[in-house]
Amino acid sequence: MLGAQETVSTEGNNCSASVQSTPDIEKKYVHRVYDAIAPHFSSTRFAKWPKVAGFLNSLRLGSVILDAGCGNGKYLGFNPDCLFIGCDISPPLIEICAGRGHEVLVADAVNLPYRDNFGDAAISIAVLHHLSTDARRRKAIEELIRVVRKGGLVLITVWAVEQEDKSLLNKWTPLCEKYNEEWVDPSSPPVRNQSTTVLESISETDEDTGAVRQRNDNLKRSNDGLDDNADVTCSNSSNIDEHHKTQQEYFVPWHLPFHRAEISGASAAALENGFAKRDDRKGTVVYNRYYHVFVEGELQRLVAGINNAVVVDQFYDKSNWCIVLEKL
Amino acid sequence: MRLLTHNMLASNARGAVTGYPLKLQVVKWSTKEAEPNPEFLRGMLPKIDWPALVAATQSLGLPELLPEAAPTDAELSAEGAAADEGSALRRLHRALLEIHIEEGTLVCPDTDRCFPISRGVPNMLLHEDEVRN
Repeated sequence: MLGAQETVSTEGNNCSASVQSTPDIEKKYVHRVYDAIAPHFSSTRFAKWPKVAGFLNSLRLGSVILDAGCGNGKYLGFNPDCLFIGCDISPPLIEICAGRGHEVLVADAVNLPYRDNFGDAAISIAVLHHLSTDARRRKAIEELIRVVRKGGLVLITVWAVEQEDKSLLNKWTPLCEKYNEEWVDPSSPPVRNQSTTVLESISETDEDTGAVRQRNDNLKRSNDGLDDNADVTCSNSSNIDEHHKTQQEYFVPWHLPFHRAEISGASAAALENGFAKRDDRKGTVVYNRYYHVFVEGELQRLVAGINNAVVVDQFYDKSNWCIVLEKL
Repeated sequence: MRLLTHNMLASNARGAVTGYPLKLQVVKWSTKEAEPNPEFLRGMLPKIDWPALVAATQSLGLPELLPEAAPTDAELSAEGAAADEGSALRRLHRALLEIHIEEGTLVCPDTDRCFPISRGVPNMLLHEDEVRN
């Protein structure tokens, strides 16, 4: 499918990494986290985002809709006149979908196990921001286009740097871009200076933030504001330009309530090896999720190099950048 | 896993030429009846790789279910909503949507790599050394 690419080198040079090998930062701070939090995460994923709903309802009767990165299956079956096939990399999330009777499989959005041109439409809702390199994000878009028929539509939504609630970014942990090349190397930490302060807790940022915030009474945002050391993770850079570059790489915390953590079982091990932290004040186990949040125009830039699809719609909605592509 | 999904799945592992169609080795399967939608099935027909669908039904021990040659759209639309059990439309519906593979294995025709189906869910994830360069 792809042209020849080099495998990941032991030096962990980002440029030579195979697009399809999963970088360590995604294994640790995306896959493992979602596996551990799946039922709790699923319980917060109920609100149907109007723009996605509108897209799905616009598709003709009998369409086969492929949801790549379907999570808990929130959108599967949304349009009863269409047939949805969902996939996600997290087996616990897929199990939740299957339990609801959906047609699903475990698969990698960067390498969809589908033959070409089968779907009438594809959706990628809040998925690409969990991919840690430009090449992987582009590959995932190419896959979405590949698997739909000529004339088929693809809807992609991703978290925006330009959050409607700007104070949220202050609550996330920025990751030093200098360490981009180390993310494929299992032995390197992504953050140069481990902050000694506790991560600020935030209420869950969902596409539909209003509904979720009301639900998460116990996880209200702290009023403590910025730490004195808030910028310690990137402050040691001697390169002046680093300060002007927009920060796009973050850890975003997920608070898993203790009773949920016990059910999951994975949290005991995670706490022991430092992969997650306890927040006794909130009664939660805190996991970090890796995000590459998108800047305005970035989706368009990724698509510009793809010659068998055109942009038919693009918009910003509720702190997400969104794009609709049509396969040529 | 329905056979409609099976008709779409392909192995993307290193060494696979097309990785399609995946051979089906079934341990357990079931039927879940559903109301057929003729328009839906007519829309589905052009997508289907007919030999792969027939081969899948044969793996299940249902060689009589589908004809060797795909029905035409004209045939399906002529039968319409009044189609009886033996009609091309009902057979297509049964094959694509009512059969559910619960436990089994999908095998790549090029490399013999096996993908498990467990509790109705295929797992198509590759190991690090199987990912294409």
